[in-house]
Amino acid sequence: MEAFPRPRPFEQPRASLISRAGFGNLDPILLLAGIGVIGFSIYTLGVATQEDVPGDPYYYAVRQSIYAVIGIALMLAIARVDYSRFRELRVGIYTAMIASICLVFVFAEATRGTRAWIELPFFTFQPSELGKVLLVVSLAAFALDTARRSSEVRRTVRLLALGFFPAALVLLQPDLGTALVYGAVTLAIMFLVGVRWTHFAIMGATAASLVAVVLVIAPALGVPVLKDYQEDRLTAFLHPSNDPADSSYQINQSLIAVGSGGKTGRGDDATQTSKGFLPERHTDFIFAVVGERFGFVGAAFLLSLYALLIWRALRILTLSKNFFGSLIAGGIAAMLMFHMIVNVGMNIGVMPITGIPLPLMSSGGSSVIATFLALGLLQSIYVQAQLTSKRGLTRNA
Amino acid sequence: MSVIDRRLGLLFAAFVLLLALVLVRAAWVQGINGGSLSAEAQNQQVETVVVPGSRGTILDRAGKELAVSEDAATVFATPYQVKHPEETAHKLAKVLGGDEEEILGELADRESGFAYIERKADLNEAAEIRELDLAGIGLLPDSRRIYPQGELASQLIGTVGVDNQGLTGLEAAEDELLHGTDGEREVVRDALGDELERNTIAGAETGSNLRLTIDATLQAETERVLKGIAETYRPDGATAIVIDPRSSEMLAMASLPGFDPAHPESASPDELRNMATGFTYEPGSTFKAFTVGGALEDRVVTPQSPFDLPPTLQVADRVIEESHPRGYVTLSVAEILAQSSNVGAVTIGMALNDEFGDPQFGDRFDSWVRKFGFGSPTGIAYPGEEEGIVPTPEDYSGSTMGNLPIGQGLSVTPMQMAAGYSAIASDGVLRTPRLVLAEDGVRTDPEPSKRVISRANAEKLREMLEGVLEAGGTAEAVTVPGYTLAGKTGTAQKVVDGVYSETEFVASFVGFAPAENPQLLVTVVVDNPKGDYYGGTVAAPAFGEIARFALPYLGIPPDHD
Repeated sequence: MEAFPRPRPFEQPRASLISRAGFGNLDPILLLAGIGVIGFSIYTLGVATQEDVPGDPYYYAVRQSIYAVIGIALMLAIARVDYSRFRELRVGIYTAMIASICLVFVFAEATRGTRAWIELPFFTFQPSELGKVLLVVSLAAFALDTARRSSEVRRTVRLLALGFFPAALVLLQPDLGTALVYGAVTLAIMFLVGVRWTHFAIMGATAASLVAVVLVIAPALGVPVLKDYQEDRLTAFLHPSNDPADSSYQINQSLIAVGSGGKTGRGDDATQTSKGFLPERHTDFIFAVVGERFGFVGAAFLLSLYALLIWRALRILTLSKNFFGSLIAGGIAAMLMFHMIVNVGMNIGVMPITGIPLPLMSSGGSSVIATFLALGLLQSIYVQAQLTSKRGLTRNA
Repeated sequence: MSVIDRRLGLLFAAFVLLLALVLVRAAWVQGINGGSLSAEAQNQQVETVVVPGSRGTILDRAGKELAVSEDAATVFATPYQVKHPEETAHKLAKVLGGDEEEILGELADRESGFAYIERKADLNEAAEIRELDLAGIGLLPDSRRIYPQGELASQLIGTVGVDNQGLTGLEAAEDELLHGTDGEREVVRDALGDELERNTIAGAETGSNLRLTIDATLQAETERVLKGIAETYRPDGATAIVIDPRSSEMLAMASLPGFDPAHPESASPDELRNMATGFTYEPGSTFKAFTVGGALEDRVVTPQSPFDLPPTLQVADRVIEESHPRGYVTLSVAEILAQSSNVGAVTIGMALNDEFGDPQFGDRFDSWVRKFGFGSPTGIAYPGEEEGIVPTPEDYSGSTMGNLPIGQGLSVTPMQMAAGYSAIASDGVLRTPRLVLAEDGVRTDPEPSKRVISRANAEKLREMLEGVLEAGGTAEAVTVPGYTLAGKTGTAQKVVDGVYSETEFVASFVGFAPAENPQLLVTVVVDNPKGDYYGGTVAAPAFGEIARFALPYLGIPPDHD
């Protein structure tokens, strides 16, 4: 044992435990907002789904907590990695994404007509959830590739093809909601990378005529493209009171649940969601559970947490040390926004039922973990931006 | 400003706009629509259920239960909530013992919000179904009728419909009394239709009890005897009425064929018919007692009055013959009854009219027929009683008076015959047959009675009717040791396609005991027996069998050693 510590080679103030663990540079607001949502989710599941699994009142809450721990650990791990290295791995990442989505066609069993899950020993894995994040990263990288060396038309076509190929695969599962997320992410990255407005206009016109063909012309010619239940779900929100037995039943029950919550909620008297009137209450319709139980106050609180998350994502977009980081942040922001608006909109009867989860709120491991990975990427971009500005380097656009 | 900065601005604006939209919509739904949506939530969770009041019990005169109601459960489905129709149908069929395909059929209409699976399942089955906890399958309180004595007195008791309303028999006649009052209950349910909570709004009330004059033991014995007749003679139908002539209380009233009251839907109209009040027939010789009764009361004859009788008698276009051909004889009125002489009875009937007017168009005879209760219902408290057909004197043809005195050319019910003979047995007083002893524990009053003939003449008639069961009478073979019996046989040709059949008969017997002081009267009517057809050999032995059991059972003392 030495009497005196030896002087260090480079004299530096001793770093705090937090910064030594590498967490000192994280964006605190993003971190707290994410933890806030998952905490709220666990609490809501704990109080509202006690009768869903007989004999195990905290089934969903416990599972969600486990996913949260795994997700947060992965988020912190990713935050310590420099995301810029993923740019070189773009082909591998993209291939892995496509391969994992294809796996479900081989292994997965259909649940309610959809093959999107792979049964693992402890966990049912949904590759298309993780695929969203992988798509954001690889597409951001491909967008930069093409940004320099080819014509704008070629770039547009290439990005569209790269983004819509996995979207089409997911649509074949068939999982329309997730496919739409892929599309939204692709469009957001194209938008931010600077694809011309005229290209968007042409895409819009093409999409409009496609919709007309799929929904109107093809069925009229006797060639149905969408399955009946998909078309029902997409159009049910337009006429919600038709028949309590089909898709609009969910919208009705959801509206009744949200509405009966009133301003401050029904608390433990929230029978709509706890007594089984509302289907999929722990996943797609968890916002209705929040609405009924905690009222407008609870709903507004949850929405502000999402507003914080998305604000931070957009803020990180502007802080990023390189364009790659900005595109990733933009893609993630678009993904979160799309999820939130579509899911909440469906719960309050202004959007069709597309069955996509509310990030970090809906019970489900794949979605929670994928969302935390996305938040980890945002943190990584933030951390790298901090480090770069300390070193005095300029933003590389 | 770089491209990305401008576009970021647009993205941010879009986000703020959408977020605002969602917030405004949430505020609208929760703040302004909140009230009506809460009411809707309440509506779909609270439901008013009718709880049927169970029917009162039907008891025999000793208090033995003939028909009681017990709680049951109706199993219903909400087909659009049923998740796995095949599996659900399989499980239900296993518990209820029903047909799986049939249940699956009920579940097939996926749009439907309600379908009965099984009405009035017993509570054990209901408990099993509750245990299964099948989505979309629910239970409603119900009540059902059970019959502790099985098929006993099935036509008499009658049947109850699925909504617990009386359909036939006493269940229908006394429905107002027996029917309970339905209650109402508020039930809070979850989405699967499982009850969370229940509140009674109005309690269900059980209907009043009905106590019959019927004696279950005697009823069972009577039915047993009738079944014996059915086995031996394979008739189209048979009925036996056991009555206490002093009060005209029915002790037993049985009809064949019967049915299982628990499954009335599978019974034919013939099986549901109570023959005692619903069967009309030409009574034949049993009717001669009333011809003689009228003539006695009008002092036209005495039991000893002698009549010189030819072998046959021409009345207008008709020749009256005896059933067993004989030569010229002189018979007393008593002998005419004992031997059942057709020529004698017609002669007495015509003598009766002779005394009071035109022998061919007999007002006087007709008035006696009606006084004894024929041509109108007896008034027994049983629905659908027939009244028979008695021609009015204006409609008589030349030969009518050659028919009526011997019980042809008019039709009666077994109940009318039982009531008419009861008047003879109870010293000349005609009473409405009684079937209900007490309603809701309160004894019912007998209907007003009416004297038809004098006590002395009733006694004389009874004495003459003893002769039927003595040596030389038409039912001489029937005896009950210790008791003097009296009665009258009847063998009537049935009218088939407008003419008297040579092959189809109604064999009947009305008898009572003890002859001097009758306390038991039995009417047996057998429709179209095969093999033998005489009242004395087909119906009279049944009387003997019933009387042999009933007299000691009722504690009626023997009148001789």
